[in-house]
Amino acid sequence: MGFDLNFGWSGSIACVQLGATKSEGGTRRISYRIGGEKTLPFLEKIQGSSSPLITLEICDNPQYWSPIVTNYCGDMVHNSGEWAHAAETVYGADMVRLYLTSTRKRDFSDIASVGTTIETVLSGTGLPLIIEGSNEPKIDSEVFLKCGEAGQGERMLLGTAEAGRYRSIAAAAMAYDHSVIAQSPIDVNLAKQLNILLKEIGVSRDHIIIDPYTGSLGYGFEYSYSAMERIRFSALKGDADLAMPIICSAIDSLTVKEVRESEPAILDDIAVQWEFTTGLAAAIAGAEIICVRHPRTIPLLRKAFGSLTPGKIAGGEG
Amino acid sequence: MALKALDIYKLLPRKNCKECGDPTCLTFAMKLAGGKADISLCPYLDEEAKSVLGATTRPPIRLVKLGIGEHSFAVGEEFVLYRHEKTFYHPPGIMFRVPDTMPPYEISGVTARVRDEFFTRVGADLRFNGIAIENASGSAEIFARAVGTVEKIADLPLVLVTADPAALSAALALCGTYRPLIHAATPENRTEFCALAKQHDCPLVVKGKTIDELAQLTRDCTSDGVQDLILDLFPASLRDFMIRSTTIRQLAITRAAPDLGYPVLLDASLMELPDAAITLGITKYASVIISAPLSPASAKAALTLRQNIYTDPQKPIQMNPGLYRIGNPGKDAPVLMTVNFSLTFFTLQGYLESTRLPCFMLIVDTEGLSVLTAVAAGKLSETLVNDSIKKFALEDEVSHRILIIPGYASPLSGRIEDLTGWKVLVGPRDAAEIGEFLHEEWKK
Ligand code: B12
Ligand code: SF4
Repeated sequence: MGFDLNFGWSGSIACVQLGATKSEGGTRRISYRIGGEKTLPFLEKIQGSSSPLITLEICDNPQYWSPIVTNYCGDMVHNSGEWAHAAETVYGADMVRLYLTSTRKRDFSDIASVGTTIETVLSGTGLPLIIEGSNEPKIDSEVFLKCGEAGQGERMLLGTAEAGRYRSIAAAAMAYDHSVIAQSPIDVNLAKQLNILLKEIGVSRDHIIIDPYTGSLGYGFEYSYSAMERIRFSALKGDADLAMPIICSAIDSLTVKEVRESEPAILDDIAVQWEFTTGLAAAIAGAEIICVRHPRTIPLLRKAFGSLTPGKIAGGEG
Repeated sequence: MALKALDIYKLLPRKNCKECGDPTCLTFAMKLAGGKADISLCPYLDEEAKSVLGATTRPPIRLVKLGIGEHSFAVGEEFVLYRHEKTFYHPPGIMFRVPDTMPPYEISGVTARVRDEFFTRVGADLRFNGIAIENASGSAEIFARAVGTVEKIADLPLVLVTADPAALSAALALCGTYRPLIHAATPENRTEFCALAKQHDCPLVVKGKTIDELAQLTRDCTSDGVQDLILDLFPASLRDFMIRSTTIRQLAITRAAPDLGYPVLLDASLMELPDAAITLGITKYASVIISAPLSPASAKAALTLRQNIYTDPQKPIQMNPGLYRIGNPGKDAPVLMTVNFSLTFFTLQGYLESTRLPCFMLIVDTEGLSVLTAVAAGKLSETLVNDSIKKFALEDEVSHRILIIPGYASPLSGRIEDLTGWKVLVGPRDAAEIGEFLHEEWKK
């Protein structure tokens, strides 16, 4: 009888390059091209279509990080280069996302240190990088320019642009050919608006990743799940201003009540389950970059994506 | 294709006799159009109307009920592929699997766990739903004994997992009146299984490796007189489930393939990655999920995900605004203000209860938005706080005039003081710190 899925989509997701190898002008061991999908997640029929990229989030001042992670990782958290190295060689991530938490100190002004940290991380790992800049509008411009400069040629992903705060990050990205994370609070229309703003100041479609904001499991995920589905749906229906890959980072996962108040014996297990469940469900809804903080979440997501993707297990290697 | 309410109305007797339970034929037609009523409720339909309406107005996915009594649940009657197009109505039942070869005390243990265990989130008790007993021994007698062991402990919905008509018959002799789900009819055993399902009026799973095979089986079973069917896609991988479950849902809701208009079952315990399978099943249209008994961490994550996916994001779960009491607060007890988003309410309430300090919670109407969201959206204002103080007669309840507000609402503190005349104490941002805060700040 031949029952087949046919949605009649007309759009497709823009391709974004993350990382650059030597031949591409950078120093990364590997680079990825994500996007390009023409249907819902994991329904692509083509062999070797890419599976979501699993990203380990690290930081340069672990004072701001969950003790669950710092206890698990041990001393390496005091050395971003080592931590990034472990992300690749021990934990098996596809990418590393560095949060410059050092810039959150009151009256932070040591901009040069930002460049040094990024260089350390670049030499610690051959994986493509996401750099999460300052949290403070006053120093944004300097911090982002420094990030851009330090990673010149590496096709990094810079975060995070928001509706009221996107100019300096966009300027840095354009000056040094990096891509930008565009974050809006769980709403398709706001996501679209921000993408249009970015487009108007010259950031091209293939340099934008949408962050629809992930409320973690039990704390807003019900909204984020639909926001991601709606973005993907609009993109496939042909709305080019929403047709960019989606990033998911449920940063509150390790601090929600269920995790924080669990018995010490299962603390790691429940933290990992919380990240895993959120990450997998987000990938099913349409996210293509899944960020986690607990290293043990990585192999679980890897296996699940493997079983959902035809042919290949690792991310869409370029 | 689905008919519009007016087209349906034209086919109705237009007597407005109310026997269907609706005030007029037109309102009944509107319900039919939305798949919210059954044509059999109108006794005056002619044959032609019945045949036209029958195929198009029943819900695109049949409602199937498992079990009886307090723990019973219904699945199916879903209408959309994407939750945001409407909502998902019937959360999947998660059933713990026990092989009949398991020692009886262990079977009893798993059963008691499903009966007793719950996990409270946002005011709801989240539970697992039943037991799937598997005829691993191959013996009818042992199977029936295991069913008996489960029955002795609790009246939970059951799934009887066997391919053998003799084993099924022995089990149904014990529990057939409680609407267990029979798993599963295949082309080999269909005739016997349908006869047993009909005899005991039980729902029946059909199992097939391809969508065509499933469609053929449901046609055969319905012509054998069994209507309450569930589909087991018997997937080889997560990807396989993803593709087939999506295909079936799409064909069913568009009524392109009525033979597939039944809920879907996923046996995660047979999958290589059971936790991932459960997440996939919850998000992608499984209505019954069989799983090995879950570890505490997996259990909480699965139940929370199910709650999230089956909460309508267009209607956040809300509390009635008002004055709530923790313990038996006196006139000098502290008053804590917060919003009427139920997640916020229950989070704060939980922490307040553990401080063991009697107090009042003043819940203001932010239309179900959380503190931070309400502040960002301008829904939490000094006027709202002032009106709530008046409306819930707070000034008669306490003798002091001190209001504790959430840390995230601190930008409003001055304006609240000016308008209400109350002194405002800005509490911590994180409700977990409320106990410490009260002990330090309130006692002064
Ligand atoms: C889910 C969510 C939504 C949902 C709505 C959820 C809801 N029912 O409120 C949706 C998608 C609809 C939404 C919409 C918006 N959102 Co929103 N949303 C969230 C998200 C992810 C989670 C909110 C949540 O559920 N929190 C959990 C509850 C329990 O938190 P809570 O109410 O604050 O309670 C805690 C504390 O305040 C404290 N507490 C509570 N009561 C009390 C009382 C006392 C006395 C004390 C001491 C403590 C205390 O205890 C609780 C636990 O610690 C947050 C991000 C985040 N992490 O908070 C963004 C967030 C709050 N949203 C944000 C925004 C901007 C919006 C919008 C304004 C966007 C827009 N322009 O449309 C809209 C506004 C809504 C509207 N116009 O209708 C921003 C706010 C930015 C800011 N800092 O001001 C956030 C922070 C996201 C972000 N980073 O961009 N949102
Ligand atoms: S029972 Fe039939 S005839 Fe009577 S009001 Fe309802 S739809 Fe109309």
